[in-house]
Amino acid sequence: MPPSIHPVDLIIALRDKHLTPAIVFLTSRRACDEAMQAFDHSHILLPPPRQQAIATVLDKVIAQYPSIAEHPLIPTVQRIGVAAHHAGHLPSWKIAVEELMRHGCLDAVFATTTLAAGVDFPARTVIITQSSIRKSRDFMDLTIGEVQQIAGRAGRRGKDLVGFAIVTPSPYIDLHVLTKGFTGHPEAINSQFVISYPMVLNLLKAHPLDQIQPILAKSFAQFQLNQRAEVLERKLDDLRDQMEPFGPRVCTDWITEWQTFDQVRRQKSHRAPVRRYEPPEVSARFHFLTPGRVVGFGRSRGVVLRQYRSKGQKSPMITALRLGGGITESPASTVTEVSDRVLDCVDAPVYPWCTPESVEELLHHLEELPGRLPELPILIPKDDEPIPDAIVQTLGDFACPTCPSRSACQRDYPLASKLRQEQHRHVKSIQALRTSLWHRFQEKIDVLQQFGYLTPTARLTDDGEWARLIRIDHSLLITELLRADAFNGADPAMLAAVMSSIAHDDDRPGAFPRVSSGLGSLLGQVRKLAVSLSPHEDPPLLRADIAAVTERWIGDPMLTWIGLCKSTTMAEGDIYRLLARTLEFLSQLHTLKSTHPGLADTASRAIAALRRGVLEELP
Amino acid sequence: MTTEELEQLLAQQPIALLHRLARGRIQRHFRAGKRRLIEVLLRHSAENRAGFESDLMTLIGEQQARPVPPPQQAPAARKPKPSAPHRRPAHKPVEQDSHEPAITLSSWLEGLGVPPPQTFVPDAWQEDAIAKLRESDVVVSVPTGSGKTYVAVEAARRAIAENRTVIYTSPLKALSNTKYTEFSKIFGPDQVGILTGDRRDNGQAPLLIMTTEILRNLLYDAGGGEIDVRLDTLGLVILDESQYIADPERGVVWEETIIFCPSQARLLLLSASIGNPHDIAEWLTSIRPTPCHLIRHSTRTVPLRAGYLHPNGKLTPLFRTVGIPHGHPGHLHPEAKRLFLQYEDETLPSGRRR
Ligand SMILES: Nc1ncnc2c1ncn2[C@@H]1O[C@H](COP(=O)(O)OP(=O)(O)OP(=O)(O)O)[C@@H](O)[C@H]1O
Ligand SMILES: [Mg+2]
Repeated sequence: MPPSIHPVDLIIALRDKHLTPAIVFLTSRRACDEAMQAFDHSHILLPPPRQQAIATVLDKVIAQYPSIAEHPLIPTVQRIGVAAHHAGHLPSWKIAVEELMRHGCLDAVFATTTLAAGVDFPARTVIITQSSIRKSRDFMDLTIGEVQQIAGRAGRRGKDLVGFAIVTPSPYIDLHVLTKGFTGHPEAINSQFVISYPMVLNLLKAHPLDQIQPILAKSFAQFQLNQRAEVLERKLDDLRDQMEPFGPRVCTDWITEWQTFDQVRRQKSHRAPVRRYEPPEVSARFHFLTPGRVVGFGRSRGVVLRQYRSKGQKSPMITALRLGGGITESPASTVTEVSDRVLDCVDAPVYPWCTPESVEELLHHLEELPGRLPELPILIPKDDEPIPDAIVQTLGDFACPTCPSRSACQRDYPLASKLRQEQHRHVKSIQALRTSLWHRFQEKIDVLQQFGYLTPTARLTDDGEWARLIRIDHSLLITELLRADAFNGADPAMLAAVMSSIAHDDDRPGAFPRVSSGLGSLLGQVRKLAVSLSPHEDPPLLRADIAAVTERWIGDPMLTWIGLCKSTTMAEGDIYRLLARTLEFLSQLHTLKSTHPGLADTASRAIAALRRGVLEELP
Repeated sequence: MTTEELEQLLAQQPIALLHRLARGRIQRHFRAGKRRLIEVLLRHSAENRAGFESDLMTLIGEQQARPVPPPQQAPAARKPKPSAPHRRPAHKPVEQDSHEPAITLSSWLEGLGVPPPQTFVPDAWQEDAIAKLRESDVVVSVPTGSGKTYVAVEAARRAIAENRTVIYTSPLKALSNTKYTEFSKIFGPDQVGILTGDRRDNGQAPLLIMTTEILRNLLYDAGGGEIDVRLDTLGLVILDESQYIADPERGVVWEETIIFCPSQARLLLLSASIGNPHDIAEWLTSIRPTPCHLIRHSTRTVPLRAGYLHPNGKLTPLFRTVGIPHGHPGHLHPEAKRLFLQYEDETLPSGRRR
């Protein structure tokens, strides 16, 4: 049996059951293109009146967007009534397919899941062939919300009484993800607030520093952080109740007193207070790696079962239950992510440090957790002070040995100190939740001051005044390039080419034209600067082959779109997107008219040269 | 509703519904028994009583939309009633309980077809959203294809009539272009403009379409003292597909746009179904001059059925019931289950099956 249904058989089956028109979601553009090729020699032709209807709609669209007149898919679209629609196509082609669907001319469209969001593109039936999608270079299971967006394309209001979402398997499909998606409630969404350099500059342009914190407090990010803080505050209230019996005794703070006494006692007897240097972030985190805490280890995930310090080196260690069921002992420093999720687990005094039922339950919950979890913001303290020698020397001064409450203290200390530690942890977490955005903002201020965009009092310098107008990705690299006069003497083609290599973030390989030597050396310079900025901003890919595509398009005004497409293996939709993004970057440079007139002028000439042919068809 | 009434209502609900209500609100709710669950839910409801009650009513509504199995097979396609389609569309197929025998392919396919032409009657939730927008910001979270555009169009129409500027944003340039064409047909080409990074078509029109990034930049400029578009006459800002607020790369732009949106303009957020729309509404209430109104429902206007198509061309229902058994991912149709297991056996190397 073939691993998935043949496209021709699929269309036959759908027509037979009156399930057309359908959108067939496939895993890749390639799969969509291959599906179309499968119809090359097929005889499941549309009746002539329907072929005619397609031609009529296409003619109308072509009159508006001549770029698709010669589109290679047109014959198949007309004969069979199927089309492909994905990011490799020109926007005008996608508009044509959407228009055909709207007129009910097509039986099926092969599409990638990018279509699921937003485009008005309904059908009677949706065919789903996958349970995961590629997100930033990784395959991730579809969320419930995503499954419902995809399936939700089925059933057009006013045109269908019911819609059909049909799963047809392909290798590695996980049916459970889809059934869960169909029957479940969409996930709660979480803020993805990030603080960027342009945000800092623009906020500080409009508001003095002391008004920033209240503005950040208005974000959805802070709203959600507050919700989490409130949960902790309620826990803190509970803890306060539980601490009731452990109030002041002979000494007010008997817990600390007993703790110090106890510790000193031990230190004296062991005489080995060897504690290796431990990075402060590891110590700060270790605090939170308590049983039940969900943590990330690079790509995998686990739940902490216990924390301890290794025998010899006294380094912080955890025992964790990993996804898949393994139980591992690892240094706390291997934890890459501390989530704010704590699962319930019943501890046990011996391996695996919790009850067997707990292990099972934890594993189950671990699997059910959503792909992305909110991280616990953790403040990193300046120093974790060890007990000074002076105190150790003065053991004799402790009142504990003869104190009347000694036995009560000794008995209650383990529980009281555990509760108090928990209290401290919550207090710290709450503090971090309330202030983490502000800290992140301040970190960006520091960088901008260091580079001279902000004064020591956090006002915009002259450079800051214009730099705030650059509001795109890699803004720091771009503004630093301008300050270094890197584009001095660059012609429009070269400027646009560098901008496109900064804008392009796809690492799909391919064959491309060569760069001119001038552009090559300019890119070398840009790359050097980008690397030097990498502590403060992730460097872009800066692909020379991508830059060359743009350089050619601008450098040769006679070059046709077909000619450009032939010079590279890039899909035309990708070339279009590249040039459209470049236009966006250039138009931001164009806003610097008053401070960088030469550059703004070059940018505007580049824009004029770039906007021709296909790139003129749409706003 | 008084607290006692609420408590009583909660006590009458099946535990499964209470758990659904507790999702996203209460940690580890699945460990609690019914009594305890009601207790914590009540405590939690104090924070946002209105949102809590509306969620509860939605869930109860959905529950009732799943009736007890009728004595015999209900006709799948009855005549659709034009009125009140926001409740349960009259032609919605009836679902069965799992202990019933699994349905047949032909009953699964029954009712397929084209509804008779109807005059356009707005849904109650659409009217509600438009009316509420007079007094307050509105968040709409309804399933895909429900008719959010109608709300946007009518709200825009009213604002334009009052000589206010309207800004409509979408996350994608392609979608902006589609809406530009669509709105130009509705309002007339001179009434609609589109702004992109480097181009401005009909920028003086009362209804302006742009991507959310472009609006954010306009708001930055206004903050810096350079008023570009007529932000002072801005009456309405529509953010379509606002579930993008959770996009890892671009979500922050939606937050900024909402934070910086001038207070005299109304905000209309249109979103696909998300799990916590009440959070968004509550957030807006906390930062905007007027309390925000939430419109949500999760019933699809055109009911959906799920199927399984085997690579050999055999089609079967995916679930035991005609409709989708919400909350029961395990209610698979025996035939679909059998075929899929067979598929896994044949395609996966041995022992790899999940
Ligand atoms: N009250 C109504 N009665 C009948 N049909 C309606 C009604 N409201 C909207 N429609 C139709 O429903 C279809 C879908 O509407 P629309 O595109 O606005 O959905 P949406 O909620 O924006 O979906 P998406 O999530 O895909 O953006 C349109 O064809 C529209 O004409
Ligand atoms: Mg819409």
